[in-house]
Amino acid sequence: MKKRFHFSPKKLLVYLCLIIGAIIMVFPFYWMLVSALKTTAEFNSYPPTWVPENWFNMENFKTAFSKAPFVTYFMNSVIVTISCVIVTGFTTILAAFAFSRLKFKGRDVIFSLLLSLMMVPFEMLVITNYETVTRLQMGDSLIVLIIPFISSIFYTYILRNFFLSIPDSLYYSARIDGASNWKYLWRIMVPIAKPSLVTIMLLNAISCWNSFLWTLLVINSDDFRTLPIGLYAFMTEGGSDFKLQMAASTFTVLPMIILFLFTRKYIVNGVARGGIKG
Amino acid sequence: MKIKLEGVTKRFDDVVAVNDFSLEFEEGTLTALLGPSGCGKSTMLNMLSGILPVTEGKIYFDNDDVTDMPPQKRGVGLVFQNYALYPHMSVLDNICFPLEIQKVPKAERIEKAKEMARLVKIEQYLDRKPKELSGGQQQRVAIARALIKNPRLLLLDEPLSNLDARLRLEMREEIRRIQQETKVTTIFVTHDQEEAMSISDKIVLMKDGYLMQVDRPQALYDEPQKLFVANFLGNPPINNLEGKIKDGKFVLADDSASVKVDLKSAVEGEEVVLGIRAESVGVDDDADFEAIIKERFTMGKEELAILKLGNSELRIYLSSDFTHKPGEKVGFKLKNKGVFLFDKKSGERK
Amino acid sequence: MSAKTKSGTFNRSFEPWLYLLPFIFGIVVFTLYPVINVVLISFKEGYRLLTGAFDSIGVENYLKVISDPYFINGIKNTAIYVITVVPIATAISLFFANLLNQKIRGIAIFHTAYFLPLVTSATAVGLVWKLMFNGQFGVINYLLGIFNIGPFEWITDPRMNIYTLIIYGIWNMIPFTTILLLSGLQNIDPLYYTAAKVDGASSSKMFFRITVPLLAPTIGLTCVVNTISASKVYGELFPLFNGRPGIARNLYTVVFYIYEKFYVDWDLGSAAAASIILFLIIFVFTMIQLQIQKRWKYY
Repeated sequence: MKKRFHFSPKKLLVYLCLIIGAIIMVFPFYWMLVSALKTTAEFNSYPPTWVPENWFNMENFKTAFSKAPFVTYFMNSVIVTISCVIVTGFTTILAAFAFSRLKFKGRDVIFSLLLSLMMVPFEMLVITNYETVTRLQMGDSLIVLIIPFISSIFYTYILRNFFLSIPDSLYYSARIDGASNWKYLWRIMVPIAKPSLVTIMLLNAISCWNSFLWTLLVINSDDFRTLPIGLYAFMTEGGSDFKLQMAASTFTVLPMIILFLFTRKYIVNGVARGGIKG
Repeated sequence: MKIKLEGVTKRFDDVVAVNDFSLEFEEGTLTALLGPSGCGKSTMLNMLSGILPVTEGKIYFDNDDVTDMPPQKRGVGLVFQNYALYPHMSVLDNICFPLEIQKVPKAERIEKAKEMARLVKIEQYLDRKPKELSGGQQQRVAIARALIKNPRLLLLDEPLSNLDARLRLEMREEIRRIQQETKVTTIFVTHDQEEAMSISDKIVLMKDGYLMQVDRPQALYDEPQKLFVANFLGNPPINNLEGKIKDGKFVLADDSASVKVDLKSAVEGEEVVLGIRAESVGVDDDADFEAIIKERFTMGKEELAILKLGNSELRIYLSSDFTHKPGEKVGFKLKNKGVFLFDKKSGERK
Repeated sequence: MSAKTKSGTFNRSFEPWLYLLPFIFGIVVFTLYPVINVVLISFKEGYRLLTGAFDSIGVENYLKVISDPYFINGIKNTAIYVITVVPIATAISLFFANLLNQKIRGIAIFHTAYFLPLVTSATAVGLVWKLMFNGQFGVINYLLGIFNIGPFEWITDPRMNIYTLIIYGIWNMIPFTTILLLSGLQNIDPLYYTAAKVDGASSSKMFFRITVPLLAPTIGLTCVVNTISASKVYGELFPLFNGRPGIARNLYTVVFYIYEKFYVDWDLGSAAAASIILFLIIFVFTMIQLQIQKRWKYY
């Protein structure tokens, strides 16, 4: 009976509420896209039109791309995000392994110290980190965008907890067979922890892609701007044509939306387990 | 390979888990480490594999001192209680893994793995993942993985405890068969006396970190050297009567009855425990003791009776020609086998 | 293996440190040192970037910050923001989470729709909200006009700015909160509902007598987590008000104040002092969070 297409009044109400909620949450994205596709006349008409006349009107995109190097921004974002995910992933895996599997003096003390560092907001560290990278004359480069984030206590914490759930006997078994710690980590632990790792990497990719404050502080030249900063600069420097801003915004959010559509389960599970930091 | 322990002791902080073990495991035999939980048998196994360092004493494999040798150099195969199969690898990859570590060429290790799979009869499941197998099949994979590197010693930690009753019977026969086919020296840990009795060449019986007795299963049953050993083995459990020696006889502690027994080394006035196995009592005119039949039970092919001896009770098996009814007082005779006197304080056999 | 190894175990004493090296390097240089340094800077009067020179040591910076009307404005706005956004967003999220917990056809599509804002750049999303909030042709005023409300000058009227920020803030907070509450709901044993149904409880009874009490720890936790993140509000201001804290510098928040002291005025001492104050506030909430977690661990 349940399988058939049958609407009880209660179910209908649930659907109605769900649809209203969905409209509230999705409407800004719809509006972003629609505004980017409108002509000037359409855009200025009031009351606003709800659908664009031509769904394939690329004029605003073309104009925005000619006014600012969005392709460069995009490439910078891609490079920074991918390197950040790889580098952080690497340090996280190694550290989580040491904190979960290896025994050494002071392990638990160091780990609880790290956990207490976790509640320090990044905003508080920015001043010194800015000084550090400027002193090292690393200003205005893509490396600067990655380097403060090479170690994440939060991701290490999540991964360590997952590693701890892998039975000891797998470790002893592999070690008796002569596997080194290194081999055990990459051949056994990492493959088993794949779902957790993917989640961590996705969360990290999202926060790298959208990173704002740090990038705003350290990047001055147009060559090294990432999409969110490029977009912000475009807003302040490139004039107040909303249609162009919306085209650029659409371009900025699209990659993450596509990523989300394919990996929603991982991301949602990750958020449910610890939340996106910040 | 022969294994020799010399005064092996393991302490965790203040707790002594294994206390001064000296014994030998002969080449090509199957030995059970038997005892109730917490007796130190798993600790013993982990010291043999090298996972746990020993606190004191020496372990020899043949003539090599392996006490400080790391696990991976000892050449042991270890089967874990939960099998420890790698969940992300196929059965074939799991079995191959030890050889992969040893950098054996791929073709060769697959060849060897298939041979092992045939030995443990899982050749049709090589492509599956561990979670697609039954408990018994997982056990077989774990054994194959342990055997593929030709270990000098095979160790199994509670190999049957995760299986249901039917599979348990099947797998214990299999372990015996595999051990006899490969002739590898094997030691396994169990808390189940029946398991240990049924397949092992020798049993090492432990309690609270102490070695109780090492012997062939039948010898352990027939000639227990300690009260604990007599109590631990046998089903139904051995009857224990507490009392003392008086006028050359065994008298219950409350003086309510007496039993004529072979005193061995027991002396007049000594406090003892008399152990009588259920099958060691018969009816005879030349009675060793008299008791009232309290109840009779039929248990399949056998019949069990509860006897009232003074204020104590005895459970015994009845012979088929036994006709007496509950309430009757009957004279019984003890057989030579299965009757033991133990010192009450030390639990040592008289 | 080396003779130093004590016995049959696996670990060599230096090996763990090799695994930790890259991680610890990053933490020490970019977290631990900055934490210590920012405390030191906050007590250095007239601290100058890069040269590290300063005039004197004392609590001067703190005194300057807490008597700065912009900072007080920042504290006030941040507090208003927190105490409006967190409860409203939590209430709406609780409703949404219950909707999304229904086992009905097509629910996956709704999940995707509700959680979309989680992954999108705050700058881009802020910009579209600025467009929607536009006083002349914004879609929000248009929709309100249908009900004869408004029009409001959301962006250009300084008095409206705080409402603008709050509405946008609520919308922004919903997806994260909904996910946490939804996962809390999914952890409630369905057996309770079956038992209640057998007893003849109505669905509103079940909601208030089973769902809410069992979800209370999760609700408490989300409130604290959201309070912490809401007290760091600043990024939303950039796209909404052209990089200014409110159109007439009327809507400072604590973090925006820190940002401006640091990056616009280059007054590092004040920025450091303000960020220590922010940290202390967050610290208090984190302690509350830990208490909640402890208390409800076996609930």
